Amino acid sequence: MTSLMLRGGLVAALALTLSAPLAAPASAQTDLSNAQIVQGLQNLAADAPVVTAASLRQAALDHATMYSGPASQRPPLAIQLDKLAQINVQIQFKLNSAIILPESYATIGSIADALHNPVLQGYKFIITGNTDTTGTREINLKLSQERADAVLEALTTTFNINPARLEAVGLGEEALQDTKNPESPVNRRVQIFNVGPLKR
Amino acid sequence: MKKLGFLLGAGLIALAASATTGAQAQTMSYQQAGAMLAKSCGPDIMKYCANANLGGGKILGCLDANASKVSAKCKADFATAKASIAKRTMAQQAIFKVCNADAARLCQGVVPGDGNLITCLVDASKAVSKACNQTITDAGWR
Repeated sequence: MTSLMLRGGLVAALALTLSAPLAAPASAQTDLSNAQIVQGLQNLAADAPVVTAASLRQAALDHATMYSGPASQRPPLAIQLDKLAQINVQIQFKLNSAIILPESYATIGSIADALHNPVLQGYKFIITGNTDTTGTREINLKLSQERADAVLEALTTTFNINPARLEAVGLGEEALQDTKNPESPVNRRVQIFNVGPLKR
Repeated sequence: MKKLGFLLGAGLIALAASATTGAQAQTMSYQQAGAMLAKSCGPDIMKYCANANLGGGKILGCLDANASKVSAKCKADFATAKASIAKRTMAQQAIFKVCNADAARLCQGVVPGDGNLITCLVDASKAVSKACNQTITDAGWR
């Protein structure tokens, strides 16, 4: 509640690719990243839309069936996700697989640190997986769901996040970050959205 | 008070077990634990467990199944990271019991939620009981 500078709708596009090879126990830079994650995920806007995993999944499916044209000409998803407090993270997976590569274990840990922070402990989150437009839309939808599920499983088991606080949704290539460059790797990302208090 | 004493006792045993020198006063962050796993076990994971995922104990199960081939450093650091994660999670879950009396004494009028009570207890750390302070440290909330 201390920081009112960062309101809902903030997209902190964090390049959390923490280089493992040379890094001694990371300190300052990592702490900053953790603070950024926490800030990015707090302060839900008053006009934030009500988003559920089911509605999001349906919106992605509808989007895929309704707009068959080139990716650059498709309208954005009807759900206004940009109004939610959120962060983007890059997690490295094995090619065409939901296996999280060891180089991204620290990133998953950073997300866990943020979700365990007292400021965020009373909130629920949706994890979305996103691909670029290479490959078919159907496969991308499936793969992104499996990847979001893998992140959720790592957070709820290895890092002990309460499973009641998390849901995972694969958005495939339906919610591109860079619509002008649909095949750009920036579109391959995991997003985490704050969807409101755990108990209502 | 009985409960508090018990929790403190359990904490001390865990501390004594995890650190021979007593130097390890703090738990690792989950980020540091993840980095440690990647650094010490990454090569073994890529070699023997390329199809196992981080969650659900699958990596650990696979490394165990290949114990004769996995490096000693990986085994030791995996155990360290796992113990630290468990200790931190336990501290986070125990905090409101351990710090209940301190919060009642020092944080009257603070609206619970959004981390307000923890912020109050951290700000008041000089007046907070030793057990509560240690639990906040172990929880990584300082």
